[in-house]
Amino acid sequence: MRVIRTCREMGIRAVAVYSDADRDALHVRLADEAYPIGPASPRESYLRVEELVEVARRAKCDAIHPGYGFLSENADFADAVQAAGLVFVGPPGDVQRRLGEKTQARRLARDVGVPVAEGTPDPLRDLDHARREAKRIGYPLMLKAAAGGGGKGLRVVASEADLDGAWRMSSGEAAGAFGSSALFVEKLIERARHVEMQILADAHGSIVWLGERDCSIQRRHQKLIEESPAPSVDDALRERLGDAAVRIARAAGYRNAGTVEFLVDERGGFSFLEVNTRLQVEHPVTELVTELDLVALQLRIAAGEPLPLRQHDVQRHGAAIECRVTAEDAWRGFVPATGRVALLRAPAGPGVRVDSALFEGLTVTSDYDPLLMKIVAHGADRAEVIARARRAVRETVIAGLPTSLAFHAHVLGEPDFVAGRYDTGYVATHWPPPPSLRLDDSAVIAASLVAVLATRGRATRRRVAPPDGVWSRAGREEALR
Amino acid sequence: MIYEVTVGDDRLRVDVAADGRFLIDDVVIAAEVAEIVRGRQWSVRLGQHSHEVTVLTHDPLRLLVDGDEVEASAVDERAAAAARGAGAARGGRHEVRAPMPGLLKTVHVAEGDLVERDAPLMTLEAMKMENELLAPARARVVRLAVGAGMKVEGGAMLAVLEEAD
Repeated sequence: MRVIRTCREMGIRAVAVYSDADRDALHVRLADEAYPIGPASPRESYLRVEELVEVARRAKCDAIHPGYGFLSENADFADAVQAAGLVFVGPPGDVQRRLGEKTQARRLARDVGVPVAEGTPDPLRDLDHARREAKRIGYPLMLKAAAGGGGKGLRVVASEADLDGAWRMSSGEAAGAFGSSALFVEKLIERARHVEMQILADAHGSIVWLGERDCSIQRRHQKLIEESPAPSVDDALRERLGDAAVRIARAAGYRNAGTVEFLVDERGGFSFLEVNTRLQVEHPVTELVTELDLVALQLRIAAGEPLPLRQHDVQRHGAAIECRVTAEDAWRGFVPATGRVALLRAPAGPGVRVDSALFEGLTVTSDYDPLLMKIVAHGADRAEVIARARRAVRETVIAGLPTSLAFHAHVLGEPDFVAGRYDTGYVATHWPPPPSLRLDDSAVIAASLVAVLATRGRATRRRVAPPDGVWSRAGREEALR
Repeated sequence: MIYEVTVGDDRLRVDVAADGRFLIDDVVIAAEVAEIVRGRQWSVRLGQHSHEVTVLTHDPLRLLVDGDEVEASAVDERAAAAARGAGAARGGRHEVRAPMPGLLKTVHVAEGDLVERDAPLMTLEAMKMENELLAPARARVVRLAVGAGMKVEGGAMLAVLEEAD
């Protein structure tokens, strides 16, 4: 959807692919052409490299944009696209390989003088090897998928007792998500902030950094809220992060849009985490602050054009916050939820951008990522954007299934978040909130009336609904006539 | 009909009179209620106050009240009295239900197995995460309703355990 929008604006025809589960999806309806590529299971549809390339060839595409899930960080896919004579909108396969294998990326960062957290230099051979390395580095630590990203296969291991179970789960997840079960361990930096730097690199050796995003508000290592500027980053640190990101990108021969992730500790020190060799879900935050269309720039870079801006041309205005609204029940530990969207009201008004694939009637299944809607706000400063994002979240209605909206509404009014005092441990310590929420008396009365009307209405409808509806009978009679 | 209603921690007695008037805790409420979207969304005016109430989910009943989510329930008084009479759940028996929809990757137990407390029963893959379902107590697996490779809905019954001494 996001890509189709920019294509439209640039006069480029857009071709979509879809699995059986996505037949009714918005991206299919908005595209100029759409092709089915198989059943719901990603392995039989969205992850089938040859099928995708074949569709692109059949549709006479010039280029493939991989989006930000599925094959977007798959070097073999990038190679296959190129081998078919098509343009891959993203870094070439060899660059992805250089950065996609995490232990190799860490080595590359260290070689260009960027600090990295202590960890194993190579993927671990087995559980025994992990145990020895873990003892050397010391607990608590992180067990990570060497081929991975996006939090999959990633686990915090507090002590040796937990290593066995974590190893089993992580390698299983990693194998499922990335086709490789290789793991490595890294020292856990406590009370760290997850800060990432957006970069752009063209095919002519020009690289710029656009600014950082703080993505520390996460649960299960999945981001829920991102903002720019990061409250913990001052101008000097921003320059250092930007410089480090560009050095890594240059060493890797990077091309197209990418994100270099760092952990920033309490004293403003930082260490390199990984490079995401794709556009990220949270890219709108940077788009609002820089007033750039990152997808358009991706397409221009892929077409071989030089970057239209140099480092000193990059300007940042105000602040932006993104809330990732997911099909997860915020009140029940974010368990995945499914259901049919019965009623939808997206937020609007000044400074609000909504990227969403929702529509009334859509059945949300557990087949894919739980992301439903991104609510992104832009304001003159952090205080204004927080108030605006909170206003936007609170006017949003998604009825029919549990969502994460209550979490977003709470955090955007929570004193520690508002003061910028948060790190990657925030969700664990601040959610669920103490049961202090008290609606005012008038709201309680209104709610109680609706509770009765909704309950009674359902009971009545269930009782009066005849097994063979009067309308379907009328319809049949109509057909017989 | 009279309903016992909870809204968050508040308990109220709501009486919907035959003429459509509302009484809350026996006091007549001057409410103007408009159903905006059938069965889903209401606009409620109480004196000068204006509220929008949306039914987010029915089971459990969760309402969005002017931007705040709150859990609520409404039980008709006679049904509530009957329910109180019924006995509590049978002791020592645990139904293991799927906490979320997903795919059962592995089932670690078989019917008749004796499992220790916190022993892994099965691994449920949901949204690309693997979740271990653990035994709530030292117990015997008296029924296994599922097998590895099955897709299950949230709340689906997976197994029945009976506590062992």
